[in-house]
Amino acid sequence: MERLDLLLLAIEALDLHGSEAMLWSCEQLDLQEAFPNRVALWKSRCRNPLRRTSSRGEWNLKEQDGLIKLVCSLSQRLYPMLRQLLCSSEPDELTAQRWALFQERYNDLISERMNLKRGAVRQLLDEKCGAQRRLEVIQTLALCAGLGGMQRLGASLMDGGK
Amino acid sequence: MNSFGGMALRYEQSSCRLELKGFPDVSAQPLGVDGRPSLLAILTSWELNLGQRASLQGKREHLEALVETALPYVRSIVSGVRHKQTSKTAVVILAPRGRGHQLQLHSSQPNIPPLDLQLDDAELADLTQCLDQMLLDPRQGLRFEIPALKPQKLVSTGPSMQHWAAPAVAMAAISVCALVAVFLPIPKPINPTQTTEQVQKR
Repeated sequence: MERLDLLLLAIEALDLHGSEAMLWSCEQLDLQEAFPNRVALWKSRCRNPLRRTSSRGEWNLKEQDGLIKLVCSLSQRLYPMLRQLLCSSEPDELTAQRWALFQERYNDLISERMNLKRGAVRQLLDEKCGAQRRLEVIQTLALCAGLGGMQRLGASLMDGGK
Repeated sequence: MNSFGGMALRYEQSSCRLELKGFPDVSAQPLGVDGRPSLLAILTSWELNLGQRASLQGKREHLEALVETALPYVRSIVSGVRHKQTSKTAVVILAPRGRGHQLQLHSSQPNIPPLDLQLDDAELADLTQCLDQMLLDPRQGLRFEIPALKPQKLVSTGPSMQHWAAPAVAMAAISVCALVAVFLPIPKPINPTQTTEQVQKR
């Protein structure tokens, strides 16, 4: 549950208009039954237990599939940016600047919306663990971009506890 | 479609280009809008171009081996574990190496050493995109076997001490409490006929 929300958070960190893009994508992907408006999408994302104001309950199948579709579709849109972050042939300085910008926005969003008392959230903001977590998030977005990634992401969410 | 009736399908990303060449199966499929068969059903050759570093060619079996290796490997990365994947025929091997990934391709011809390539995350993502596009392309009728994406049982890589420490401390605390409770003297029963003063004197 928290994984999908954190992926959407990373998308927001990469794209300043990410939240608007999510609404627009909901229309494009025909997800209006699951997320008819901004509030419904926000409520759905608030099921993440790491949120500062999290709401109880599980996602229904439509909501979960909708969020997976949304993540994969937005990742496809941001694929050039994801690729730049992961590419080793780009100049190191430029890559470091890109990562620093992403880190700043991502950490700001986490501090703003997540419950900072939770160990998992503190780990995300941690100097050492945080970098690895951010890399994993960007890798997941890049490898799940597009239609083909939907099955991969969906299956990985069903994995046994890590 | 070329003048000989052959078809070519191309899938491109920044560092990867996959091209399939073949023929439509005229006897088995309906004709397209323009009166020509629209599905590539017989693969004669394929070429995978990984930037300026390597150009791979092969038969259908080799492409199948690449699909059955690359997609489960990517799936394992998405799940947060990096498992080495080998195709059934051991022609293609994908494994983590350093910060990137090692793609090893063994030639089916004798006396040719295996091709060893180092891919970074971006190149692996490009390869995955090309394979995904190919598998989902409605113009492709090759009926590749798509590897099943089953949920995985993840094995934590963290030290086992951390996992057992909390339950062990809890069990020890319960045992100590139980032991202390056993050795505590049982208070003597108070006779209800005795007055409060008698009890206090005692």
